[in-house]
Amino acid sequence: MAILELRHVSKFFGGLAANSDVSFALEEGMIKGLIGPNGAGKTTLFNCITGYYPTSRGEIFFKGNPITGLQPDRVCRLGMVRTWQKVRPLVKMSVLDNVMVGALCRTNSLSAAREIAMEQLRVVGLDPKSGFIAEGLPIGERKKLEMARVLATKPELLLLDEVMGGLNPAESEEIIQLILDIKQRGITQMVIEHDMKAIMRISDRIVVLNSGEKLAEGTPAEIVSNQEVVDAYLGESHA
Amino acid sequence: MSMISEALVILRSIKPAGLLVFLAVLISLAAFPLVVESPYAHHIMILIFLSVIMGQSWNILGGYTGQYSVGHAAYFGTGAYTTMMLMQYQQVPPWFGMFAGAATAIAMALIIGSICFRLRGPYFVLASIAAAEILRLSALNTKELTNGAEGILATDIPPLKIGSLVVTDFLTKVPFYYTALVFALLIIAVTCIVQHSKLGFYFQAIREDQDAAHSLGINLNLHKNLSLAISAAFTSLAGSFYAVYIGFIDPTTVLSMDMSVQIVLICIIGGIGTIMGPVVGSLVLVPLSEALRSNLITQGLISAGLVSEESPVGAFLKENLAHAHVLIYGILVVVVILYMPEGVLGFVRNMVRARERSNS
Ligand SMILES: Nc1ncnc2c1ncn2[C@@H]1O[C@H](COP(=O)(O)OP(=O)(O)O)[C@@H](O)[C@H]1O
Ligand SMILES: [Mg+2]
Repeated sequence: MAILELRHVSKFFGGLAANSDVSFALEEGMIKGLIGPNGAGKTTLFNCITGYYPTSRGEIFFKGNPITGLQPDRVCRLGMVRTWQKVRPLVKMSVLDNVMVGALCRTNSLSAAREIAMEQLRVVGLDPKSGFIAEGLPIGERKKLEMARVLATKPELLLLDEVMGGLNPAESEEIIQLILDIKQRGITQMVIEHDMKAIMRISDRIVVLNSGEKLAEGTPAEIVSNQEVVDAYLGESHA
Repeated sequence: MSMISEALVILRSIKPAGLLVFLAVLISLAAFPLVVESPYAHHIMILIFLSVIMGQSWNILGGYTGQYSVGHAAYFGTGAYTTMMLMQYQQVPPWFGMFAGAATAIAMALIIGSICFRLRGPYFVLASIAAAEILRLSALNTKELTNGAEGILATDIPPLKIGSLVVTDFLTKVPFYYTALVFALLIIAVTCIVQHSKLGFYFQAIREDQDAAHSLGINLNLHKNLSLAISAAFTSLAGSFYAVYIGFIDPTTVLSMDMSVQIVLICIIGGIGTIMGPVVGSLVLVPLSEALRSNLITQGLISAGLVSEESPVGAFLKENLAHAHVLIYGILVVVVILYMPEGVLGFVRNMVRARERSNS
């Protein structure tokens, strides 16, 4: 069964169609890559799926139930959570407290939340910094914090918005391993990424957005050999 | 079960030295009226406690949840008016009236919150001011109910009795002293509990980043309104206490924007989002404003022999400084905000840290 399904989703900002008539389904346990040039509407699509923006048209189903119009907190409690392209650490709080906020989504007990949070910090490798104030973290660790925090909400579907953006190759590799680990744990993921090598490597299937429209969908091999995609987007790098 | 384990975690995190200091302060405060007899000293202490209650109440919403309400006079005034009207017109003693006041303030908070929390940042601030102003104008114009601009004067406070035993008749300042002290301790305890609970985490997450908090499963409206309700209930207790203690209320004092700003200043001066902040702010602001109001500065200068009372300077200061107390107060506040953006508490903390660093 598809864990997430989009039917004819459109989002308009005034006259601008940031997403127009986007439909696709996401199979459980898979990693779906979402690619497209800057301004293609990838982040906007995440915003619509998680309820941060109301969609202008279309319907969204999560685990078979309509979630169109639900607020982000409800969506998170249902098991779908996203990271932010521009990271949003709770800067005046400690690294541990940041992740505990995520964990408290599933428990009312602080000690239980603390345990869940420490576990997720170990998963991303931030546990030595649990007592640090989030403000002082460099970008690589902020991205990891963002990952630990969403993992602590015990999601079934993770939406990752450019979690490798601004990272050096070694840091990116760590994130790639993390994403593959998360897949092993049975969590479905949709990943926006600009690094083509990385996205081709981790994705089971890829959706290509261009000017808000779905241009193509398929396996990585199908996408690189799709002439339309190559012309519109991959042109320079994969020619 | 989890409540007990949480409580244990909190208890274990308390350091023995801190606990000793706390107990010593508590005992001194309890013994103060027995040792010091001056009613003026009692009065100053009562004003400090009242200020702690006001500041700490605002702190829950402004400091922890990051919603800068500049309309808390609405809740202060609601408490003051509810208690006073019940006492004067219905002969309901204030220790019952104040609960009615708190309930009314919570109802008011939910109405104001449901409107104002749609807005963020400076728009929320403006809306909170507007809400309080509407309340002030309503109180001014519903003369049959509130006695309008003339205000309400408390004729007499009924004695507090348990059975036939008279606990206190409120004739001296001492019963007010203990009442204010207990209220202040209560709101501090509530803040401690909130800070060490899921609610506190959620409040702070909202303060740090509303969108991030929202995406992590936090119901923004629910938690902002909860925070406001707690804040409003205790602010209204402060208002009820003020009404009975001062014995007179009118819209231009208890419902004014001055009052709202005063409440915010306690936290800004002390340091927002910490338990000690409003306490420090009160310890700075209350004596300062009293000293300026009663022109202690001029008296000090004169008695120290720095200016003679007969000299033109002395006469000028004596004549004008008392009137200028609001101005001086304002200037001092601006200076503190400019040079101590994290409040007095944050300033001291940074100084200590800097010293530790230079020592190590
Ligand atoms: N809140 C908004 N208001 C108006 N326009 C927006 C808003 N968010 C995004 N857009 C516009 O929608 C288009 C898609 O943006 P975005 O989804 O961020 O692209 P991507 O993430 O693919 O780079 C861009 O043209 C952007 O300017
Ligand atoms: Mg984007």
